[in-house]
Amino acid sequence: MSVLRIQNLQAYYQSTLYGVTRNVKAVDGVSLDLRANEIYGIAGESSCGKTSLIKVVFGAIKPPLTIIGGRVLYQINDRDFDITQTNDETLRQMRWKQVSYILQGSMSLLNPVRRVRKTFWDFTKAHEPVIEPEKFEATTREHLNRLGLPAEVLDSYPHQLSGGMKQRVAIALATIFQPKVILADEPTTALDVVVQRGVLQLLRRIQQETKNTLVIVTHDMGIHANIADRVGIMYAGRIVEEGTVKHIFSEPRHPYTKHLIQSLPKIGDKSKRQSIPGAPPNLADPPAGCRFHPRCPYAKPICSVQTPELSPIQDERRVACFLLTKENAHVS
Amino acid sequence: MGKSFLTYVIQRIAQCLLVVIIGITITFLIPRFSPTDPVEAVVNRAMMMGQFSHPDAVEMMKDALTKLYGLDGTLGQQYVRFWRGLLSGDLGPSLSSFPKPVMSLIRGSLPWTGALLLTTAIIAWVTGNMLGALAGYYADKRWSHVLSIIAMSLHPIPYYIMAFVLLVLLAYVIPVFPLGGAVAIGLKPGFNWIYISSILRHAFLPALSLVLVGIGGWFVGMRALVTNIVSEDYVTYAEYAGVPNRTIMYQYVMKNALLPQITGLAMQLGLIFNGALITEYVFNYPGLGYLAYSAIFAGDYSLIMGVAVFSIIGVSLAVLLVDLAYPLFDPRVKHQ
Repeated sequence: MSVLRIQNLQAYYQSTLYGVTRNVKAVDGVSLDLRANEIYGIAGESSCGKTSLIKVVFGAIKPPLTIIGGRVLYQINDRDFDITQTNDETLRQMRWKQVSYILQGSMSLLNPVRRVRKTFWDFTKAHEPVIEPEKFEATTREHLNRLGLPAEVLDSYPHQLSGGMKQRVAIALATIFQPKVILADEPTTALDVVVQRGVLQLLRRIQQETKNTLVIVTHDMGIHANIADRVGIMYAGRIVEEGTVKHIFSEPRHPYTKHLIQSLPKIGDKSKRQSIPGAPPNLADPPAGCRFHPRCPYAKPICSVQTPELSPIQDERRVACFLLTKENAHVS
Repeated sequence: MGKSFLTYVIQRIAQCLLVVIIGITITFLIPRFSPTDPVEAVVNRAMMMGQFSHPDAVEMMKDALTKLYGLDGTLGQQYVRFWRGLLSGDLGPSLSSFPKPVMSLIRGSLPWTGALLLTTAIIAWVTGNMLGALAGYYADKRWSHVLSIIAMSLHPIPYYIMAFVLLVLLAYVIPVFPLGGAVAIGLKPGFNWIYISSILRHAFLPALSLVLVGIGGWFVGMRALVTNIVSEDYVTYAEYAGVPNRTIMYQYVMKNALLPQITGLAMQLGLIFNGALITEYVFNYPGLGYLAYSAIFAGDYSLIMGVAVFSIIGVSLAVLLVDLAYPLFDPRVKHQ
């Protein structure tokens, strides 16, 4: 059952300078279908539009980020709504109760001059205006307990917590109402590997207990391999390949994914890793056709003219590449 | 924490005392190393009046004056005597309004300056910071732009120019306020409306000139601080979570932005003992600044020193208080 459908979403950073409008096409035609009870990973290198995509999905659309087209449809509790069309109040009510967002920058998500308990109180109170302090205390302690966090963190100031603990508290804050969808943007990036593992386990535990949808955005392929059920590979504002984590890692099909997987270090393999020639395109002026074609070793003439659609090639597998789609099978 | 807190406080007070002692020592030494001799200056002034004095009488006068000014004996003896006097609240006689003691001159000026500067500093701090925070938080609103423009044009105006403009405008062109002084001449001091209203009327223009420029300064600083903090991750996170704007504004934005401003206020309060020199001069206001100004012009060493001593103690005390009180505002700061 799908919980969130993104249909041909286009969101650009628009700025006007001396009467000339400049568009940075951060999200350009993304379509995704997220289901209940799954962990979906969005992978891609820096500045390929991952964070912008998550922001739009969360409805955090502030200029210069502008929605050009497409829809973001949530189906929660038999209620459908398009986040690009909702008003601020609906958005406010929906956030945290149904959808929450763990921002990038785990070290600075907590107010340095406010005790953690107060922050929990603020976040709870925003959605349960009449909650009594005793009930708040009890539910918050129970929530922390369920996540395996000591209740003492409530009495601390953020600077008294370690980096990993801060990130766990941020995750706990995002899940107080057990939302149906959790969007996590680089949840482990600032942490060392040992702490990363703990944070990932925490995220997985939350997901398994509440059977919700967890979207993890990170450039770190290791995390996707570890935790995701399905992975979407993003390149220059578009999803180029989508599949189960097993398929993506064992038999990548899109040339970009192939390069990405090949560049991962493997234990015992001492051969030099190949990097992809060239650099990611400037999203203010992306190449026509397939955005990967200037760097693609298998590029055909059609690749620079037409944009390949993200089309299914087998179960659970979609690829946007002319080399693989059926109607162009004769080309390859 | 108890014990370490106590040691910290004791250490900090000792440090403060050390600063005061060194500061006062320097103010004690500077005039003594300067080539002008206050005794000689007074004697010369007396001689210039054309009177003939017997050389013995001149010598006697010199001796008497030297003794009076505390300039007899070695430097060490003078220093000890100076401290003994200071600790018993005696700074010696003023040289320009001899034989009035320096202490009583300062005591006469301090309440005027204290009341004027304390009220203006607090009014300017509170309004400037409130408006600055609002303007920074709602930076894209129209009224915010208007406020910013006003504050930014007020801020760079030197406070004495502001004082002159207000004086000419509101006391001369449109004479609503008195030209100068602290209270109407000939009025008997007392706790009655006529006397108090006269004080308020006289203080209004100097206060206004200080408040306007002060608000401009605090506003500009606070707005800059707030615009930075508004884009901090913890503010965005709270906004996304639907925390009401009021809570975000006060607890997330302002509380963080006020920290440096509190230090600024304390420093300013410490400087009260310097007086607002030029403002008081322009408005003929009998405060410490005016006193210092006339002392400098009259070459009144002991009075200059008296004002300097108070100012040293004032600034050091203010810094000490901020240091001790800071953990109340910022949990990250601890007494160690």
